[in-house]
Amino acid sequence: MAVGLVGTPVRRLEDHRLLTGKACYVADIVLPHMLHMAVVRSTRAHAEIMDIRTAAALAAPGVRLILTGEDVRDLGPLPCIDLFPDSKPALHRVLALDKVRYVGEPVAVVIADDVYAAEDAAELVEIYYRDLPVVLDLEEAASDAPPALLYPEFGTNVANICRQEVGDPDAAFAGAAHVFEETFRIHRYAAAPMETRGVVADPTAQGGRITLHTSTQFPHLVRAFLGGVLGIPESEIRVVAPDVGGGFGAKCEFYPEEVVSVVAARRLGRPVRWIEGRQEHFVATTHAREQVHAMRAAVDADGVVTAVTLKSLTSNGAAMFTLATTPASISSAMLRGPYRIPNYRAESLSVLTSKTPLAVYRGAGHPQAVLCMELMMDRIARDLGIDRIDLRRRNMLTKQELPSDRGTAIVLAGKVVYDSGDYPGCLDRVLELAGWDDRLRRQAEARAQGRIVGLGVACFVEETAIGPYETGHVRVDGSGKVTVLTGASPHGQGTATAIAQLVAEELQIPFTDVTVRHGDTDVVADGVGTFASRGGAIAGAAARLAAHKVREKAVLIASELLEAAAVDIEWVDGRAAIVGVPGRSVTLAEIARRATAWNSLPTGLSSFNLDEVAHHQVPGISFANAAHVAEVEIDRDTGTVRVLDYAVVHDSGRIINPMIVEGQVHGGIAQGLGGLLMEEIAYDAAGRPLVSGFQDYFLPTSAEMPEIRTGFMESPTPLNPYGMKGAGEGGTTGAVGAIAGAVADALVPLGVRVAGDGPFTPPAVMALLAAARKGAGA
Amino acid sequence: MSRDTREITVTVNGAPKRLTVPVRLLLSDLLRDVLGLTGTHVGCGQGPCGSCTVLADGGTVRSCLMLAVQADGMEIETIEGVAAGDGALHRIQEAFREHHALQCGFCTPGIVMATVGLLRRSPHPSADERAELMEGHLCRCTGYRNIDAALAALAGEG
Repeated sequence: MAVGLVGTPVRRLEDHRLLTGKACYVADIVLPHMLHMAVVRSTRAHAEIMDIRTAAALAAPGVRLILTGEDVRDLGPLPCIDLFPDSKPALHRVLALDKVRYVGEPVAVVIADDVYAAEDAAELVEIYYRDLPVVLDLEEAASDAPPALLYPEFGTNVANICRQEVGDPDAAFAGAAHVFEETFRIHRYAAAPMETRGVVADPTAQGGRITLHTSTQFPHLVRAFLGGVLGIPESEIRVVAPDVGGGFGAKCEFYPEEVVSVVAARRLGRPVRWIEGRQEHFVATTHAREQVHAMRAAVDADGVVTAVTLKSLTSNGAAMFTLATTPASISSAMLRGPYRIPNYRAESLSVLTSKTPLAVYRGAGHPQAVLCMELMMDRIARDLGIDRIDLRRRNMLTKQELPSDRGTAIVLAGKVVYDSGDYPGCLDRVLELAGWDDRLRRQAEARAQGRIVGLGVACFVEETAIGPYETGHVRVDGSGKVTVLTGASPHGQGTATAIAQLVAEELQIPFTDVTVRHGDTDVVADGVGTFASRGGAIAGAAARLAAHKVREKAVLIASELLEAAAVDIEWVDGRAAIVGVPGRSVTLAEIARRATAWNSLPTGLSSFNLDEVAHHQVPGISFANAAHVAEVEIDRDTGTVRVLDYAVVHDSGRIINPMIVEGQVHGGIAQGLGGLLMEEIAYDAAGRPLVSGFQDYFLPTSAEMPEIRTGFMESPTPLNPYGMKGAGEGGTTGAVGAIAGAVADALVPLGVRVAGDGPFTPPAVMALLAAARKGAGA
Repeated sequence: MSRDTREITVTVNGAPKRLTVPVRLLLSDLLRDVLGLTGTHVGCGQGPCGSCTVLADGGTVRSCLMLAVQADGMEIETIEGVAAGDGALHRIQEAFREHHALQCGFCTPGIVMATVGLLRRSPHPSADERAELMEGHLCRCTGYRNIDAALAALAGEG
């Protein structure tokens, strides 16, 4: 029944609850005597706070408390966990003190009887500012003479420098037949999950313990961070991630509202709720992507890329958030993707700017790296007159060259050693799936008719399933049903289903007999969370290891019950049976009941209960890979870029549930498409963001999405006991490269050179077309 | 701030209710905070996302853009009323599950409610009708292809 469950597209355990309105997101939590918080945010991008007047707001109906920076002066700043030893610790305060550094920075909070009263009163808080110069342009910010220093005490806006050095790039450039240089600009956009952030802080538990319900991807880390900022032991804190409506990295950060709500709740002795508004979300939740990559490539006479150097800048906004250096670290460590390029040097700066803090978003630094590398490959191919697929093949690591120590490292994750995969095979498969040669022919025909059409291909390798570890606890009770506690904290990925598949296959039981619980630090003692494409692979491995231990213990108990030696017992269909003696067997329920506390300790056992805990400690990063092909057409009258066709072949090791993995790839592609063609957080000259919600920050709709043909390869990783790698982010990473490549390809005949990711919105593309016409006429 | 209230009569998922509500109370807040029907989700509070879609006298409305007092005399249907009470899913919900048309589930109730309304008006909606429905809904997880497949199956084209 359950044998072979792994690898099958079983429908999700999560869905019934989600489809019937019975899910419980943080905004659905209602507690007795609950109060409501509104956050007063900076309207200035960089200013001294001269005065804050709260009297009128305090006098407003229903207002219970107002807190400003002075009230939380003694609390430590929010931690950044990926700082380097010599980083400038430009850390975010819980509430601004003396100075604000971006529009949206929390300055005060108002707690009132209902959210309407809180928001009304927040309008009455008067803040007097003295403006300071703003720092918006990334190159200016990083220069020796920036318009302003966000933290004068550091003497620079450069908060961190991440370096990578492999081989001898100087010698390679000295001997190069061709040198290519390009500066790629990548714009700022955001994860924008459908559920905004939110918290309910409850100080009423027994003994004054705090319960923080929060829409997060890593409740156990929130518990640790909150304890650190408040200076209280973690045992005094319970963090609950209820149903979470998408995260994509934006909820893999620790935020000021997760602290200040707790401070207010403790002060008032009543629960406090804050649900982020959508307009608020675009200034209060981390942004993503914005980088400049100055890249050089040394190429020999045969089109072999012998060296690459990179100098990159990341616009980190006004403070180093939880995972602030990771985008720069990943893009610098992973730039070369699947290509050999034996000599490499990168210097990647994390730079402070007068904008909302920027951190990780699906793919972290990978999409930027893939975009730059693949646009560079296309340019080299074009300029040298080599077919771009052929050029990629010449430079691509083969299966026989793996494992391959790439000589780079990723902060928090470790050394980059490609473990397994067949990169050329993956490229071959996607070209076949896309019908590449046929598409090239049709592209030529379309161009002859005056249509602006382009084809893009992107091959990449990405870090997945990072450690350090994840926990799994499998318990069988007297009902014979199985409960799994996992340290992952899924929020849409279907990880509960995947874990149930793994555990049910191990125990050979129906997978509906498995309940997976997560997200509550009082229920799951230890865990790390869901991010970096790690949930299924790492938490899944931990749960299955625990289930395996449960099965071994069950056999020992059964040997007593059946009066047979353990070696004579086989596990069949969730029962322990004596080999060769039909009818002599005991069920999982019978075995679990034998091990309960009101029985004697089963013979040969050292502990009661049929439950086991396992940690899967990750020995190294496992690297997934994929190849994407996109075909686009540009409307010369409107500038609209339309993705006509899409093909992807994805390899994330052994697949637990192909339906779920395909869904991850689809969703990832949509986010890559949106980021390139539609989404942008631009700022005006005063540092005010020009986004107020989904009416001016355009997410892709169904109408923008092409048909997607998906193929899979399964190269198991030796780093996971079941061969599984991560699949959460690759769709986005590949789509950014493939669609940018297709847009660039479409514009080649018009003489437009694309160096960056646009965004390729209709007005931006119209401007490119106009510039091309002007250039042609000149 | 206005503390004015009005008495309204509204039928929610078949049950008539007589309620005294603040004039500024949003329909979404009436459903969620007053009646405890938290299956209706507010994704933007501004209209574009469509997560909070419910049926009002059979037509789709954004419950975050409508005041509770405007629902006076109306029949409101929410996600909680779609499945029969026996735990079985409605065929729309079953199609979404079968086609993996949801991931985090936050936008899903709004899309399901819009689909309930569409299938009543048009039991076999054309591709254009389905596309028109999906113009009004944002989903950040699925990439939409599986939602479109679920809708096609419901239209008899699956």
